Amino acid sequence: MGAFAAYTIIGLGLGGIFSLAALGIVLIYRTTGVLNFAHGAMGMFSTFVAWQVFYGWSHPFWPTWLSTLLAVLAGLIFAAIMGLTLEFAVFRWVRTREPVVKAVITIGVLLALQSAASLIWKNNQYHLPIYLAPQQATFQLAGVPIGANYIVIVVMALGLAFGLGAFLRYTSFGRAMRAVSDSPTSASLWGVPVNKVSAVSWMLGSLVAALAGILITPFINFDTTSLTLLIIDALAAALIGGLVSLPLTVLGGFVLGLLETYPTIWIQSLGFPRLVALLVIIAVLIVRNPRGFAVVAK
Amino acid sequence: MFRVLAALVAFTVLARIPVGFDVGFKFDAALAVIWAFGLLSLVLLTGYVGQISLCQATFAGVGAYTAGLMVAGFHADYLVAVVAGVAAAFVLGVIVGIPALRLRGITLAIVTLGIALVFDRYVFQDHAFEWFTGGTAGWRVDQATMFGLQMDSSKHLMAAYIVLLALFCVVALLMVNLHDSGAGRRLRAIRDSELAAATMGVNLTRYKLLAFGMSAAIAGLGGSFYPLVAGSVSPQPFWLFTSLQFAAIAVLMGVRYVPAAALGGVFMAVVPDVLTRFGHGTFMGRAYDISYDWFQIAVGVLLIVQLIALPDGVWGDLRARALHAWSAAGALGGRKVKVA
Amino acid sequence: MTMLRVRDATVRFGGIVALDGISLDLNRGEILGLIGPNGAGKTTLFNCISGVIRPDHGSILFETNDLTYAPPHERARLGIARTFQNLQLWGSMTVEENLMVPMDALGRRNTFSDALYLPFSAYAERASSERARAILHVLDLGRYARTPAGDLPAGIQRRVEIARALAMRPRLLLLDEPAAGLDAQETAHLADLLHAVRERFHVSMLLVDHDMSLVMRVCDFVYVLDFGKLLAHGRPAAIRDDPKVIAAYLGEESKKPAGDVATVATPREGPPLLEVDRLAAGYGGLEVIRDVTLSVRPGEVVACIGANGAGKTTTLRAISGMIHARGGKVTFAGKDVTGSSAERITKLGLVHIPEGRGLFPTISVEDTLRLVSNTAGHEVDPAPAFDLFPKLRQRRRQLVGTLSGGEQQMVALARAILSQPRLVMIDEMSQGLAPTVVRQLFDIVRVFREQGIAVLLVEQFVESALDVADRAYVFEHGTIALSGPAVELRNDRKLVTGSYLGTAVDATAIAANGNGHHIDPALMEILSVRVPAKVKRALEERAENEGRPAGAVVVELLGKVDDQ
Repeated sequence: MGAFAAYTIIGLGLGGIFSLAALGIVLIYRTTGVLNFAHGAMGMFSTFVAWQVFYGWSHPFWPTWLSTLLAVLAGLIFAAIMGLTLEFAVFRWVRTREPVVKAVITIGVLLALQSAASLIWKNNQYHLPIYLAPQQATFQLAGVPIGANYIVIVVMALGLAFGLGAFLRYTSFGRAMRAVSDSPTSASLWGVPVNKVSAVSWMLGSLVAALAGILITPFINFDTTSLTLLIIDALAAALIGGLVSLPLTVLGGFVLGLLETYPTIWIQSLGFPRLVALLVIIAVLIVRNPRGFAVVAK
Repeated sequence: MFRVLAALVAFTVLARIPVGFDVGFKFDAALAVIWAFGLLSLVLLTGYVGQISLCQATFAGVGAYTAGLMVAGFHADYLVAVVAGVAAAFVLGVIVGIPALRLRGITLAIVTLGIALVFDRYVFQDHAFEWFTGGTAGWRVDQATMFGLQMDSSKHLMAAYIVLLALFCVVALLMVNLHDSGAGRRLRAIRDSELAAATMGVNLTRYKLLAFGMSAAIAGLGGSFYPLVAGSVSPQPFWLFTSLQFAAIAVLMGVRYVPAAALGGVFMAVVPDVLTRFGHGTFMGRAYDISYDWFQIAVGVLLIVQLIALPDGVWGDLRARALHAWSAAGALGGRKVKVA
Repeated sequence: MTMLRVRDATVRFGGIVALDGISLDLNRGEILGLIGPNGAGKTTLFNCISGVIRPDHGSILFETNDLTYAPPHERARLGIARTFQNLQLWGSMTVEENLMVPMDALGRRNTFSDALYLPFSAYAERASSERARAILHVLDLGRYARTPAGDLPAGIQRRVEIARALAMRPRLLLLDEPAAGLDAQETAHLADLLHAVRERFHVSMLLVDHDMSLVMRVCDFVYVLDFGKLLAHGRPAAIRDDPKVIAAYLGEESKKPAGDVATVATPREGPPLLEVDRLAAGYGGLEVIRDVTLSVRPGEVVACIGANGAGKTTTLRAISGMIHARGGKVTFAGKDVTGSSAERITKLGLVHIPEGRGLFPTISVEDTLRLVSNTAGHEVDPAPAFDLFPKLRQRRRQLVGTLSGGEQQMVALARAILSQPRLVMIDEMSQGLAPTVVRQLFDIVRVFREQGIAVLLVEQFVESALDVADRAYVFEHGTIALSGPAVELRNDRKLVTGSYLGTAVDATAIAANGNGHHIDPALMEILSVRVPAKVKRALEERAENEGRPAGAVVVELLGKVDDQ
């Protein structure tokens, strides 16, 4: 039973990671209509910038909290600039194209960012995480110790989900974002400042990606590909949320985290849990589309 | 008839190109055709039928491993190995096609990406599948026979290249024929509107599964030659990023056009090799080192630029320009030129 | 004898009952009308019959086959063809190819023989191509054979859809709003065409349309749906006078004498609010409008009428900044707005409700209306709009995409009311809407006028538009052919019946030469039977011996088959 509880904790932590990564995807999809395959790569790049500041450029005598703060700030500022740049240079010009074309463009962004990062930081594994909470701090829950950083992740995921949800639902800027996502042409006829709105959307999405990347570093093998590939689990979680619902996405992330953890109790394999997760996702998608004729669903 | 002639001419010209180059370039040439098969499979699946797949390298990989298993494990003739590789890829394609009956567009893209990841991280790398992958060392294919002849991979690269090229020309010709035929129209009808296709008598289940199966078979045909060309199979050439590159380069070159696949194959095989071989040295007194990463950056950036500026891909754009010039010339000559 | 039998069909989407126990019978050779308010379930019933969705309950029988669980392509094989309300042509394929798909989908060709281009496939290919050309020729679409279907104007696409459905040689044809977007004359020709098709090809039809002139003219029998239930059924004349149907759908015919409704002859004075001077615009290499000069004075209602493709919609788009003008000048409220962005022009107090209404499907009604804050510059309370449209108040939390067409148009108009603009431009306000709803919407236009808001209206229903307008412009060939006070234009009968407008750029070809229903019997033969060469020869010989057209022989033979 103890092992089971421990695995549950690990699974929930993993789920928090997936949720965080997935939230940004859903945010960008809902506000710009772009399914961003490059979300993981964007988060990865910003995280490496933070890492560079923390381990590369910080003065050894600075207190850890200062280096951490500076690193996180640097990562976030870089992310904001990257989001804006992508909007100005790329996505502004394809706003009225079909969703699939926009998704393929993000694959181009993914390949470029991924290779640029491995060019700069090589393909090494960096086991040098950035901790937001003290590394050793733990809480006891029903006799099982839980690392503080896990709690940070879970709280962040839930907070972001509800915060972003409320922002989109109740603020006039959030409404404008949803309008642009549905139809940029119509939105401009309603007087919505389309360029401004989509620039902010991309900036926000990129910030969420960076935040997720930085929070995740303590828990995964931190190299250029693993963060980029996190996109696949994140996309799966986002699909459970129908690419729309933020709370369901978080739920999907946790379910996926548990699904990928429990099988490791019985089978020592890196890949097997992925297979389980994939089958579950396909099942969920097919159940969601029960009438069987894909063309009827919008 | 014109098409058959064009295919013959293309074959004769292309077959002579690697002659006189070193082994490395002969390898590139053979590899280019293998990748071209992968891209051709996307021309069928995405260009004709409008289905998205981000796991074409997986199909090629299954073809490669099956062929490797047949040759190294069962000492089969390479021809048998190729047939087995194509069959295995076809079956997997049909299986992947089943969720595609319900899913479309970006949802399908995500699911196929998941499939690519499962194969990349699980099937091609896990102990549980060592019987299929030959373990971490992979299958070594040094002593293959084809048509009863000994095929030493290092010496007979040219032979493998010619066989591959001939097969590619045949498959490409069939694909072009298919495009303008009744079956091709049915497939394209699914791309443009599934709803209308189904209500106008097109059996969606059958044609979608067939499209996935055929597409996977084409990718698997290229892949099944990989062990012969490279001497062994390993997971790395068929990992997830190759699938992504397939999608990116197919779209970049023009996903609706068969010749674009050949162009893309050459681009995918030759450019990185040229970069790694000649990409370092000194220029104006400064040392430089252009690695493989630059290739992938270039693919990414070119893809973005192309999708913004030339939506129909490089080949599509060239073709449109050529047709335009042709019709302009026709108008000057005072006769009507039909632009299809 | 009964050809199609729908029994107790029920469809639920989530909690909403779209079809509630509908039963319907269609006899062979009959044209059956299906009418009812938007959202009554007509298209859902079509989807059930063509197999796009499966009813939760009930059964569908076609001749001797139970179709309830058959997939769509099998129904097509049995001879059920349909057209779509929102056009579903295969846009990247040529018109000819569009017709060939249903032809050879029913044949016995396979993928491998096609890829190898075996002689068998090559023969079938030529045969389909010939037949496709013949059908196109009969429907006067021959000149578009090699054009990609997606590049054609909507009016032509609608006819290609009918041609494609006929290419299947159907026994039952389901037509979903074939007259949407057609003007009076085009509709009249469509009616002739449907009659001709029925006579010549022995096709039974099920027809959904809001254009009552079409329904009354072609249908033998009419079913009326309301809220997914069967409201009434009977002969067209009886339906027209059925009080239940009038209340739910048709509305009271307001036969007021001309001139009584519109406030005649209060010519609005003052400087024009909108001045368009020699405007030119287009798409890609195509110039659609040129030399368009018009003006709208404050508080005035101006109608733009003209055939499909005459340039009305393009003019509105160029004014509001949706597309860039290529020449000329647009002045609004004293400012030169030529080339300004749509955002800026909207903020000056010009609301443009485009074709398709320009709404956001995944946003709720209330949130949509709150978007007005973008032009108002402050938060907006949607309550006044709900007072005007009580129906929207009930549906305030519903997503706009799930509303019926009429309700969506109300949302678009409510937005115009809330943002208190100086000018509202409405494109095809009544397209695809039930007569009662159309009447309500025109009443809202009158509300605009009372509030001093100017309106520029593009409308297919010429008569209703002229009833409400002060002045009107008549578009022809991408420019303005005629303008004047609405009262005068209303008395011009030629204009109202549409014959004036018959020659617009892409005015449908049926309208252009008026012989769409003269079907050459020789072509008939190619259309109705796919005959092997031997049989064809025999037919021709027999026709020659008997001294009559081959088509007549075929018709006679077909008649015999039918009798058996």
